Amino acid sequence: MDLISSILSITFLTQVFRMMTPYYFGANGANFSERGGVINISIEGFMNLSAFSFAMFGIISGNIFFSLLIAITINLIFSILFSWFTVKLKINQIIAGVGFNLFIAGLTKFLLMLIFGSSSNTHRFEGISDIDIFKKIPIIGGIVSDPLTLFCILLVFVSNFILYKTRFGLRLRSAGENPEAADTLGVRVRQYKFYGIMLSGILSALGGIWLASNQNSYSEGMIAGRGYIALAAMIIGKWKPVNIFFACLMFSAFEALEITLQISGTNIPTQLIQMLPYLITILVLIGFIGKTRPPAADGEAY
Amino acid sequence: MKAIEFNEITKSFGDFYANSGITFSINKNDVHCILGENGAGKTTLMNILYGIHKPDSGKLLINGSEVHFNSPLDAISHKIGMVHQHFMLIEDFSVLENVILGNEISEFDVIDFKKSREIINALIKKYRLNLNIECKISDLNISQQQKVEILKLLYRNSDILIFDEPTSVLSPVEIHEFFKIVDEFKSEGKTVIFITHKLKEVMEISDKVTVLSRGKVTFEKRTKDEGLDLSELSRAITGKEETHSDPENIKNDTEGEVVLTMKDICLFKDKLPKLKDFEIRLSRGEIYGVCGVEGNGQNEIADLIMGFENNYSGELIRLTKKVSIIPEDRNKKGMIKEYSIGENFVLKFKRNRYVSDNQVRKISEDVSQNFDVRLSSVDSDLDSLSGGNQQKVIFARELTADNDIIILMHPTRGVDINASGFIHKKILEERNKMKAILLISSDLDELIKLSDRLGVIYNGKIVKEFDKSELNRNYAEGQFSEKNPKNKFDIYEKIGMYMIGLADEE
Ligand SMILES: Nc1ncnc2c1ncn2[C@@H]1O[C@H](COP(=O)(O)OP(=O)(O)O)[C@@H](O)[C@H]1O
Ligand SMILES: [Mg+2]
Repeated sequence: MDLISSILSITFLTQVFRMMTPYYFGANGANFSERGGVINISIEGFMNLSAFSFAMFGIISGNIFFSLLIAITINLIFSILFSWFTVKLKINQIIAGVGFNLFIAGLTKFLLMLIFGSSSNTHRFEGISDIDIFKKIPIIGGIVSDPLTLFCILLVFVSNFILYKTRFGLRLRSAGENPEAADTLGVRVRQYKFYGIMLSGILSALGGIWLASNQNSYSEGMIAGRGYIALAAMIIGKWKPVNIFFACLMFSAFEALEITLQISGTNIPTQLIQMLPYLITILVLIGFIGKTRPPAADGEAY
Repeated sequence: MKAIEFNEITKSFGDFYANSGITFSINKNDVHCILGENGAGKTTLMNILYGIHKPDSGKLLINGSEVHFNSPLDAISHKIGMVHQHFMLIEDFSVLENVILGNEISEFDVIDFKKSREIINALIKKYRLNLNIECKISDLNISQQQKVEILKLLYRNSDILIFDEPTSVLSPVEIHEFFKIVDEFKSEGKTVIFITHKLKEVMEISDKVTVLSRGKVTFEKRTKDEGLDLSELSRAITGKEETHSDPENIKNDTEGEVVLTMKDICLFKDKLPKLKDFEIRLSRGEIYGVCGVEGNGQNEIADLIMGFENNYSGELIRLTKKVSIIPEDRNKKGMIKEYSIGENFVLKFKRNRYVSDNQVRKISEDVSQNFDVRLSSVDSDLDSLSGGNQQKVIFARELTADNDIIILMHPTRGVDINASGFIHKKILEERNKMKAILLISSDLDELIKLSDRLGVIYNGKIVKEFDKSELNRNYAEGQFSEKNPKNKFDIYEKIGMYMIGLADEE
């Protein structure tokens, strides 16, 4: 009884929406890359990198806004590097992605030791603060007062608009569907692939930033596979911004449930709950939501 | 006034010359036909004109001034538009999106869909293209897809229009419609470049003809002004003195066993009826021709026989599992473009076994010799072959496979006249080896020439069957067309009426 009432509470709802934030930034970012035809599995690494740089510069400078910009910039540089490998040099996208993930994992570990002298985590710092006046809004106050979560929700509409209503979106999608055809119409295909990857870098940066900010520190392994789950959410969401949003909510609901269960001390093993998102992903992919179709030229070099 | 001048254009792929020293010009407001066997270099030359390929050497002049194209973007800005041999459409996009892509009407990057719709719908109305712009390309048939390609050119207001083998995928009725559009282009002062293998079309529509062979210009003449006639043209293309003679169609008399029976077949796809009470019987040693406007159930028949389609009602008896097919969409279904000829053959081997590189190469060599496939090297991917040559490869593989039933879908579509004569000969040979052959085509000449029985399909049903004697009589009369032009069109007209559902069922 206690458990059910805590799940039906506004606190729980707030938690679900807030925890959705890193997933959606990652998934939506990956989607922009894939719509341009580049599979970007280094979302996990990108989130890891931005979480680290946000924490590091936050601690060093004490200025949140500054460290946010730096973290985004560093991710941007890495995504330019990624597109240089995949679009220009046409290295296999999966291999490049794995390489980036491993490299970033090593780099952050190394810098953590070098700068903070710890193998596990940084010092604590003040994260991004809530917008106090929004807190007074009934029911959703707790959700929209988190600036990044609010931005995330707005992003659902913005992304949808960009993909389907703008020239940029049309051309980006054409690069992922049939680059040869797009080329014959004068679309600069590689340029659009490049933009798609840059967007994935920026958006996944925000995902990592939210995690570090929320935890008020960076700790090793804190991304904990969220980048990969984001990719799963993108697939379940059929590469559509709105559907992806709901897929992310599903994953964050499970995460919130897990925490609630731990607190309430029931005897349902939390490992079982932890397993659920993955189980659901597999079931969904097997065929609960019908056929999902990636962009026709996804993953192909052009 | 010259719209385009090619001056010593040379283009090689590796050490193979696809175009070598091509020089000719195209007058403004002409319909200019380019002909030549498969692999002659026609598409390559057009790709140079459209900025896809850069020539190794030579000059290209548009409206009198020299140009250097780095990409299609440059060609587009010179008002050049091209409908490619293999369509350049995005399957998952709507007609509207395909048309505007690259030339969107937008303000602050936001596309003005309302205005785009108005413009495109006006064009559709003006040229009577009869398209729904909200449809996805994947839901359209080939003829409709071609109309989308034409719409793309119209939307860009191109002045020089390149059509690379546009009619090889169309039925007679659709070709007629297409020619009307070309006439309209001409009356508007546009220049049209038109590549085809069908000589009758050339005579009907062209102002000037250029023939390419092995990357060189071998013949050039104005059609009406200089009095070009059919036999001269056909000599120019085949390089032979007499016109290409049709292979003799002599059927052996033995009645073959019936290997395929379809009865009362009904098939629905996406809740739409595709086949209704469909009936057919196919015996060994006969060619059954199926003729009809594209999309009347032809694809579904093939899918049923191949076993791709299982949701049907009715009776389907197939006495053999050895079925070969040349699918309609061979680019996607018949081959792996990234593989060489030999590798595409190995795919069909019955048992898994070790195959050495030399064996694969040997197959490639044999096929390219026996079926006259032009390639730059034995290891070439199919992707680098010209369209007609790719087709010969599929044809060779399916014909030489161990089979009892052969389904041929448009076997000579996009193939030059020499090769299509050769393909027809091979088909008759297979028939005489007591294979059962189902010939699905929209080329009436071909169907009448080869079929032992001919069924006209309309709305998923065979509405009329002609037997050999009927076809033969009319075809023989057709041969004397110059004396008696009326007879020639008699059977064509009759079949045509059934094809579009205007004839009463008997
Ligand atoms: N990208 C390419 N790489 C290698 N060879 C090519 C390429 N494109 C065309 N070819 C070769 O050039 C020749 C001419 O091809 P093409 O211009 O397509 O002929 P067609 O006259 O039938 O249109 C063919 O033999 C083809 O194999
Ligand atoms: Mg060609």
